[in-house]
Amino acid sequence: MRVSRKLSQVLEESGIPLDYQAGGTSPEETTDREVKREPTPRAKKLRDLYYQTLSSATNEFPYWYTRKYMELDNEVPVVRRALALKCAFSHLTPTILPGELIVMGKAHYYRGSFPMPWLSEGYYMAKEDELYQAALDKGSASADEVSRFGTGGGNVIRNFGNVVSIAGKFGIRQEEVPALLRVARAWVGKSVDDLGHKYEQMVPGYDIKEAIMKSVVCMFDSGYTLPQGREVINYYYPLQYGFDGLITMAQEKRAQVAGHPDGDGLVGMNRLYNYEAVIHVLEGVQAWILNYAREARRLEAGEKDLVQKKEYRDIAACLEWIAHHPPRTFREAIQLCWTIHVAVLNEDAISGLSPGRLGQVLWPWFEQDVEAGRITEDQVLELLECQRVKFTCLDCFASMGVVGGVLSGNTFNNLSLGGLSRDGAPACNRLEELIIEAAINCVTTQPTLSVLYDDKLPELFLLKAIECVKTGTGYPAFMNNRVATEFLMNHYGPEGMKLEESRAVAIGGCLETSPCSWNRLTLNGKRYWIPGGSGQPTSVGVHFISLPKILELVLFDGVDLRTGLRVFPAHGKRLETYEELFEQVKAYFARAVAVLSLTNNIQHDIWRKNNSAILNSLLKPDCLEKGHLINELGTRYNATHNVETCGTANLVNSLAALKTLVYEDGEVSLDELREALRENFGFKMAIEVGSYSLADQEKKEGVDQYDRIHYRCLTAPKYGNDDPTVDGILREWEDWFCAMCYGYESLNARPYYACQISVSTHAPMGAATLATPDGRLAGTTFADASMSAYPGTDRNGPYALFTSATCWDHSRSQNSQMNLKIHPSAIRGVEGARKLSELTRAYMRKGGFHIQYNVVDSRMLREAQRVPGQYRDLMVRVAGFTQYWVEIGKPIQDEVIARTEYEGM
Amino acid sequence: MAQTYKNLDCRNYAPVDVAKGICHVRKQLVLADGEACEMFEKLPKCKHCAKYTPGEEEYLGTCAASPGRPMTYPDLIGVTCEWFSWKDAR
Repeated sequence: MRVSRKLSQVLEESGIPLDYQAGGTSPEETTDREVKREPTPRAKKLRDLYYQTLSSATNEFPYWYTRKYMELDNEVPVVRRALALKCAFSHLTPTILPGELIVMGKAHYYRGSFPMPWLSEGYYMAKEDELYQAALDKGSASADEVSRFGTGGGNVIRNFGNVVSIAGKFGIRQEEVPALLRVARAWVGKSVDDLGHKYEQMVPGYDIKEAIMKSVVCMFDSGYTLPQGREVINYYYPLQYGFDGLITMAQEKRAQVAGHPDGDGLVGMNRLYNYEAVIHVLEGVQAWILNYAREARRLEAGEKDLVQKKEYRDIAACLEWIAHHPPRTFREAIQLCWTIHVAVLNEDAISGLSPGRLGQVLWPWFEQDVEAGRITEDQVLELLECQRVKFTCLDCFASMGVVGGVLSGNTFNNLSLGGLSRDGAPACNRLEELIIEAAINCVTTQPTLSVLYDDKLPELFLLKAIECVKTGTGYPAFMNNRVATEFLMNHYGPEGMKLEESRAVAIGGCLETSPCSWNRLTLNGKRYWIPGGSGQPTSVGVHFISLPKILELVLFDGVDLRTGLRVFPAHGKRLETYEELFEQVKAYFARAVAVLSLTNNIQHDIWRKNNSAILNSLLKPDCLEKGHLINELGTRYNATHNVETCGTANLVNSLAALKTLVYEDGEVSLDELREALRENFGFKMAIEVGSYSLADQEKKEGVDQYDRIHYRCLTAPKYGNDDPTVDGILREWEDWFCAMCYGYESLNARPYYACQISVSTHAPMGAATLATPDGRLAGTTFADASMSAYPGTDRNGPYALFTSATCWDHSRSQNSQMNLKIHPSAIRGVEGARKLSELTRAYMRKGGFHIQYNVVDSRMLREAQRVPGQYRDLMVRVAGFTQYWVEIGKPIQDEVIARTEYEGM
Repeated sequence: MAQTYKNLDCRNYAPVDVAKGICHVRKQLVLADGEACEMFEKLPKCKHCAKYTPGEEEYLGTCAASPGRPMTYPDLIGVTCEWFSWKDAR
């Protein structure tokens, strides 16, 4: 029997191997990462426990929330929700494990989470449930169908024993399932998903939206999946005033505004209910903390080991204090920040709630405690390592399409480092160095780290960051502080952003430039400026539009050949010139944004009416002062809705191939190319092969009439090589795209803006897209990120790639994203570290916004595919996040392996 | 015949995930569905509460603590429930 030829063989024979290595030659043997350390015994034990832990869901929070909410018919919506949240927080079962120093979690499981059926009730119902079938019909299951989870690690991918698998990732106890289904049914017709769907259908052209979702031109609706996130939290108010102080403040404000519209006839009166809601939620959070304190006291009473007994006692004392008062010590401050973080995550389905510049936020307590001898740096390091494990235990419960296809199971708690202070001085400090040290010692996926790069940052600080990169965790990423502040000034200037405030910037989620502000904190009479988030979530908007799919629809006159659906009205053009083609790409893209922005506005409007953020609001300036929550634009910066894209490099490469092969050289007619694309260049379809991975694609026996076209498409000019023609295409696209977003208005009556990250969407969106004119096969992943080259196509070294990537002004977009894969041997030793530092600096000085490095030997990744059980702790950088290798799907694994590997600098 | 309990029904059991937890007494990982040991201490759950009435469907019941007797389920943990009271002697 003949074995089918694989794509990898075809490419090898064409001189364009899939696993291209550039810049040198790596050692023959598999090379491990240079920097490998161990955490403290305590953190190691807790991390080892995490490695054994399954992703577990519970019905506890949804049950109590729903029970209370349904009791309160006709209560003012924001108060009704607040009381439901208070009830749920108050009834969470506290679990404290031996050895923990920082306690509290989303649920009573170590890696626990729970569904929020008030957002969407359909996705966690079992497949046989009729509601799930209805969801399928609405198109929301299309992304689920093409999304794949990793099959190892903590993912519960199938039922076992008394455990039921939900969404291919979460396990739930069988005895909780019937109640979960009852709770879910209570939300039928009432959830944000259902109500949003009811009203979004009133948008003219809604049928286009349906077709867009079903054909995976767009990946998901943010309004009911992840309505908040990719933002920077603000810990300031509880840190400065404590919960008792905040309740007192809200009570005083409530008295001031009761009955007073104060000149605002629309929402002025709402302030009364908002303050009332704030008080209820804060009381719920206090009850939750005190339940943990009681549990610690209970454990203390029964504990025979004196060391452990004291630890329980210290935990109880810490919690009993921070439940009411501002923290006095570093230990109390770090626990309070963690508590607030988890509380906000429990309020809503959130991915990418970033702690921001935590090392600068906690600096006052660190400085004073160390100076007074109340804590040592070793003790701080241990706490920071324990905090890393806690962050890694966070899970976000959502559908497979969102958690698997978009997030790869990640939660994107991005901790920012460096940047500038309010007065423009380098803002890095000793605590930030310890945060990096903790990340080196205790490698975990969360929190990921980002250095806000500025030329003023000390070289030693950058080298410390590079040392961390050498662990192979993929963090810290480097973000350009200058570009970020320019973006903020441009975009939030109309809302009052000034240069001084723009310097408070931090990264929300993977790499979302987020508006922040400085807050004056006083500790023991000493005053500090600490940064914190001051904007609405940036996880909201039109997410994600597949650029290669838009091109495909242009080539096939608006019809998705995979599903047979007509997505856009036929353009009817002959596409006789390249210009006509490019203009039609823009026209279809604009049509998609037009309808999706309207339906998105409706979904988020339903969300903010019935499901408003209360806790997250009160934390953000200036909600508490104004008495208006996020839903009434109480936050200082509200222009946070964006348009996200995926597949930039494949679009640009495809346009370059069309331009040269069809329109300039006339080597191939458009019809011939269309046929080759339809026929997948003579390869089997991915679904036929049973895999969407690049490496697995197989040639059809005896079909060779498309080989020439395929070869020419593969060897056509590609992005990332300092080629003026291709770079010109990218520049034209970016100039147009970044400007066009401002033509659409969010529900906050603010303009949209461009956001360019792929997260993991390049796999499921690739899975739903035919072969593309750049030679990519049907169903396979797109290039990751937005500025990364397609695997193996950047042939002229990193500096040529940088020149291509920076041919446009990155400050016109919220972000851009560049991943480089580097062999560990290429940056070995002090000299290697300096080379990587210089490489980073070069990209930043050219105006690149973001760069991050996967330091790994591809042979190790292949070995990990073969024997995943031996690589439970292996991590890779996927897009803007790091994930355990065994917990990501095979298409993404293959894409990471296929990325160009730089073996020398 | 004496009723047998599982580890996940024990007050000394700290759940790690849906399949296992740590026993605070024995200081080791134990299976959630494993048989409880002689140091078993009953965990407050709806099924042990005086206000709980089992329903007709398995794993469902009602709670008499609130008006309208809302739905609840036997394995809902009651350590934080203000209405919990033991149905039988522990």
